[in-house]
Amino acid sequence: QDAPIKWRMQTYAGSALGEQVVKPAVDMFNRIAAGQMEIELFYADQLVPTAELFRAMQSGTIDCVQSDDDSMASPTEVTVFGGYFPLGLRYSLDVPALFNKYGLKAIWEEEYAKVGVKHISAGAWDPCHFATKDPINSLADLQGKRVFTFPTAGRFLTRFGVVPVTLPWEDIEVAMQTGELDGIAWSGITEVYTVGWSNVTNYFLTNNISGAWIGHFFANMDRWNELPPHLQELVAVCFEQSHYYRQHWYWAGEADLRVNGPKLQLTTIPDAEWATVETAAQEFWDEIAAESETKAKVVAIIKQYNDVQVKAGRPYRYT
Amino acid sequence: MHPALIRYVRVTEAVNYRVGRFAMYLLFVMMAILLWSSVTKVFKVPALWTLEMAQFTLVAYYLLGAPYSLQLGSNVRMDLLYGRMSARRRAGWDVFTVFALMFYLAVMLWGAIDSTVYSFATGERNPSAWRPYLWPLKLVICLAFVLMLLQAVAHLIRDIAILRGIDLGGEPAGAEKVAGEVA
Amino acid sequence: MEYETIAILMFSTMMLMMLTGQRVFGAIGFVAVVAALVLWGPGAQQMGFSAVMKLMKWNAMLTLPMFIFMGYVMSESRLAEDLYKMFHVWFGPVPGGLAIGTILLMVLISAMNGLSVAGMAIGATVALPELVRRGYDKPMISGVIQAGSSLGILIPPSVVLVLYAMIARQPVSQLWLAGIVPGLLMAALFIAYIAIRCRINPALGPVISAEERATITLGEKIRLLRAGLLPLGIFAVMMVPFVAGWASLTESAVIGALATVAAAVVKGRFTKQVFEVATRSTLAITCMFMLIILAALSFGAVFDGLGAGRAIEAFFIDELGLERWEILILMQLSFLIMGMFLDDTAMLVIVAPLYVSLASALEFDLIWYGILYTITCQIAYLTPPFGYNLFLMRAMAPPDFTLPVIYRSVIPFVLLMLLTLVILMMFPQLALWLPQLIYGT
Ligand code: NA
Ligand code: NA
Repeated sequence: QDAPIKWRMQTYAGSALGEQVVKPAVDMFNRIAAGQMEIELFYADQLVPTAELFRAMQSGTIDCVQSDDDSMASPTEVTVFGGYFPLGLRYSLDVPALFNKYGLKAIWEEEYAKVGVKHISAGAWDPCHFATKDPINSLADLQGKRVFTFPTAGRFLTRFGVVPVTLPWEDIEVAMQTGELDGIAWSGITEVYTVGWSNVTNYFLTNNISGAWIGHFFANMDRWNELPPHLQELVAVCFEQSHYYRQHWYWAGEADLRVNGPKLQLTTIPDAEWATVETAAQEFWDEIAAESETKAKVVAIIKQYNDVQVKAGRPYRYT
Repeated sequence: MHPALIRYVRVTEAVNYRVGRFAMYLLFVMMAILLWSSVTKVFKVPALWTLEMAQFTLVAYYLLGAPYSLQLGSNVRMDLLYGRMSARRRAGWDVFTVFALMFYLAVMLWGAIDSTVYSFATGERNPSAWRPYLWPLKLVICLAFVLMLLQAVAHLIRDIAILRGIDLGGEPAGAEKVAGEVA
Repeated sequence: MEYETIAILMFSTMMLMMLTGQRVFGAIGFVAVVAALVLWGPGAQQMGFSAVMKLMKWNAMLTLPMFIFMGYVMSESRLAEDLYKMFHVWFGPVPGGLAIGTILLMVLISAMNGLSVAGMAIGATVALPELVRRGYDKPMISGVIQAGSSLGILIPPSVVLVLYAMIARQPVSQLWLAGIVPGLLMAALFIAYIAIRCRINPALGPVISAEERATITLGEKIRLLRAGLLPLGIFAVMMVPFVAGWASLTESAVIGALATVAAAVVKGRFTKQVFEVATRSTLAITCMFMLIILAALSFGAVFDGLGAGRAIEAFFIDELGLERWEILILMQLSFLIMGMFLDDTAMLVIVAPLYVSLASALEFDLIWYGILYTITCQIAYLTPPFGYNLFLMRAMAPPDFTLPVIYRSVIPFVLLMLLTLVILMMFPQLALWLPQLIYGT
């Protein structure tokens, strides 16, 4: 037998979270591949900083990446939709629905192929909530808060006086303690507990700025093409399995920790006031759509999808 | 020694000295930025740009200052053996080992150019809410590695001069004596 | 190539390159980029450069030039002179009193700066001439100054702990608080040692004569006590807003630096010369640190990416089959040996990531481990052949402080540091008590 094929993979998640959301899938892949191929997993910033991740994958420094488009600043037309596109999604199942049924997959594949990258698959993670030191009961409480968040979400949140701060993922806990940050708008409550942010925050806002994160697995196109078909398929299947795992892990965790979590107190901005944010999101979508044809196409699909969900009524929408 | 080489050393060191002196004062720019950040925070309107700008300034500070720090001789060496050698023997070693330094700097420059080209081609912005373009910073980094390489070559020429017993004027242009003042 | 082979090759080549006397950052960086180009595969040239971007995002690095600047302003403007006079007057009557006063001075200096350089500079310019004039034992003088100034990295603020915090991903504030008690304990051990030795052999540290003592009035003595308020003031201005969460770490570093400048201005000692030397030396030292960290980050990432990091972890945990405490002691021993030869920054950025993840895997408290690590760095400053304080001592002391004297002088103090290390390993609460008290974790 030939020497095994080796891939270096870097995830944007730190090790505490990565143990949950990617390591099981990689371990499973390595076991099934039985020595034909081995994926070596590295966590956030371990080999290259997250901001250089895309470039590193494109030039082959890293073979495979797990990230959203936004965090790794991919030079594509779809970057803004990765991570949390403000109020674009309600539930985590919206992601596979949009990609597989409403045609986003084709758009992503094409966009990434243009820059030498194979888009393997998209999956959902958790919704995006605020976890903060001080309570947020109204939009006015957001004013002047330094919050760690995704670039596009941050751009949107500046409308409400939030100061988005970008730091390496691993430094957030420290930055909360040193006063560099007032809060985090990065994840749902499962992650807040899993990675230990619940030790440095006191309050959790139940309103979310998006119901699900869109993230992907990518590979360097040449490395992908060098794989025999059965290994390509195995890579895809194992990553699909990790999407599935996250669906139930987060879904169960979000509800459970709101009810039974010991560390965070819940606060809520009333629906009537939160409607301001929803209106602002619509405006934000239109601004994004005006930036390019591809973006307009994606925004149109998201609008169309939400329209169907609203008309379908319960259990898709309750308001 | 060929006059062109001597001239090279003079010009390179003069340029690096000036660039380094400029970089030296960026310390106060960093202070100002961070102070401004505190002030705006007190008034509940924290500035978006301060953290990134301070980071960029620090990069410019230590990379543009690096050739000058080479002139000042502040970069530590392990002197287990080196410390016991005569000036001539040190020069003899350095003539060879400086190529390791140059090789490192050249590869850094290679990576920096790669990254800068990418930055230009894609209009790369720092992934943040402020979203500044990254190419100006990356250009500065490229320039800094070019200057460090030029300075390393100047050191090579100086060492060859020492081996041939030629005095190039001891201290590099403008570098004050810093022994004991610098670790 | 086998992972183990890569690990051994990269390390031994790096050591060899450093032995040639080329600049440490050049030696480390060279091995990193060559290993990448030869073994990595496509895109290897990116590995060195991406360290620049990685380092840029390490916010806490912004404190480095601030703390260095602070230290230089303090030593260059001779802010410590009054302080020293205070200790001089109050401890003069005790055998070895000036040496004890020097240690106390170093404790205060340590509370105002993040490195050991400023302490060395102040010790060599302010304390050393006086100790020599009073006929103190040379090894005693050299040892006291070197060991005392090393407290600068254990007592907050500490640059070494900031770097450790970045690597171990632990809160700086807790690490700093954790350093206080061990730092004071170590200082107490130094003082006890000096007192005992000078009691046994008063010639090592002669007392100030009764006639000279008579010339100093009680009023003068009280007046001098006020000098001690300055460092306490600067420490408070910097630490209180930070620990209370009003200012971020980087911001409080700036506040500390400006407070030191303000103190020098008030004392009328912020001359053009002080400004020039402090600014220039800050650039020089910051460049030295940053370039080493940059090279070491590249080295670490390449080392990791080539699988060598896993080899070391597997070696310690699986192959040796040791208990967790045995592994910890082995790690500390190897750190101590490396500290003899390696620059502490390089040690931190190259070796610490491996050891920190090991310590974490073995479920040791990483705050506590950071203090163990910092004490190991202090020891590394003093152990020949490669030690910052040794270099500085040689550069700053008069010629009759020969190398053998300097080398011999550190022995008792290194032993006391090792004792502190052992005490701390036996009683982790010494480090953890204060952060737990304040942050309630
Ligand atoms: Na200190
Ligand atoms: Na040493």
